[in-house]
Amino acid sequence: MKAAAQGGVLVVTRHPQPGRSLARSALDTALATAAFEQPVNLLFLGAGVLQLLPEQDSSDVGVRNLRKVIDSMPLYDMEHCYVDAEGAARAGLTATDLPPGAILVDHTALRALFDSHRHVLGF
Amino acid sequence: MLHTLNCSPGHPAVQDCIALLQQEDALLLLGDGVYIALENSQGWQALQASGATLHALEADARAAGVQHRLAPCFTLVDDAGFVALSELHAQHMAWY
Amino acid sequence: MLPATAFTPEGFLKDLSAWTPAVAEQLAAAEGIALTTAHWEVLHLLRDYYQQFDSSPAMRPLVKWVRINLGEDCGRSVYLLSLFPGSPAKIASKIAGLPKPDNCL
Repeated sequence: MKAAAQGGVLVVTRHPQPGRSLARSALDTALATAAFEQPVNLLFLGAGVLQLLPEQDSSDVGVRNLRKVIDSMPLYDMEHCYVDAEGAARAGLTATDLPPGAILVDHTALRALFDSHRHVLGF
Repeated sequence: MLHTLNCSPGHPAVQDCIALLQQEDALLLLGDGVYIALENSQGWQALQASGATLHALEADARAAGVQHRLAPCFTLVDDAGFVALSELHAQHMAWY
Repeated sequence: MLPATAFTPEGFLKDLSAWTPAVAEQLAAAEGIALTTAHWEVLHLLRDYYQQFDSSPAMRPLVKWVRINLGEDCGRSVYLLSLFPGSPAKIASKIAGLPKPDNCL
């Protein structure tokens, strides 16, 4: 067994919505974990950063406005979320587009983030 | 960390995986991911360059017909081998 | 009074836009709750929450949301339990005409 990481769950969300329900499942997993007062962090990686586009209006397609749900994370005591800096740059997302408390992580910090969690759940 | 990669060559998840892959890691190709190991393709060189140990699930490789055309850096594993890899690594990241 | 077909088997309002204060009274009566000013404060906050976050809160965020908006005395689970006994997040969401909270157990 490799040296165990410190603890907590890292939920990695890599798909945009609304094409697939994976984005929603990742967020629900993170929020449910937080609702149980378990340590959890959410990482938006690759195309997953597209979930953060701020001007979503899903009222005509019958799914949740994911960005609005993401903005409720501080109420679940998830004060921070992690955002792949390269993915955000590719998507043209600027700091003002991101939710409050978002932390941009570059390539080397990404690996450290994975290694600092006991469990990794990829969506 | 154990990485499982289950998507066709060229899928963005392949690049996301490669960016994270390190020498102490193991990578297991599943499903459509086994095509990445095709000897004549360009997909696996970046995986090999990471220094990670590389595997493909035997049943999926056979189903795809690539079992005799794999780049030599890949080892075929069966289900028991998959379980052994899971036991060896504390973390598992599924790329798909 | 809305007919039984307006509600899910668990008693949640199917069409959010059909909610009125009278519907809230009907939903509360079905839960055995007589609505007071204190109840209404929380119900309106829940509807604000839904507007802002497109979801019904679980218990933990509900407590925090009430604390932020109504202060420390109200933002406590015992206070919410006294208003909506049993499962405050679920019952208050129901009376506020919102869907069942996703992360409510």
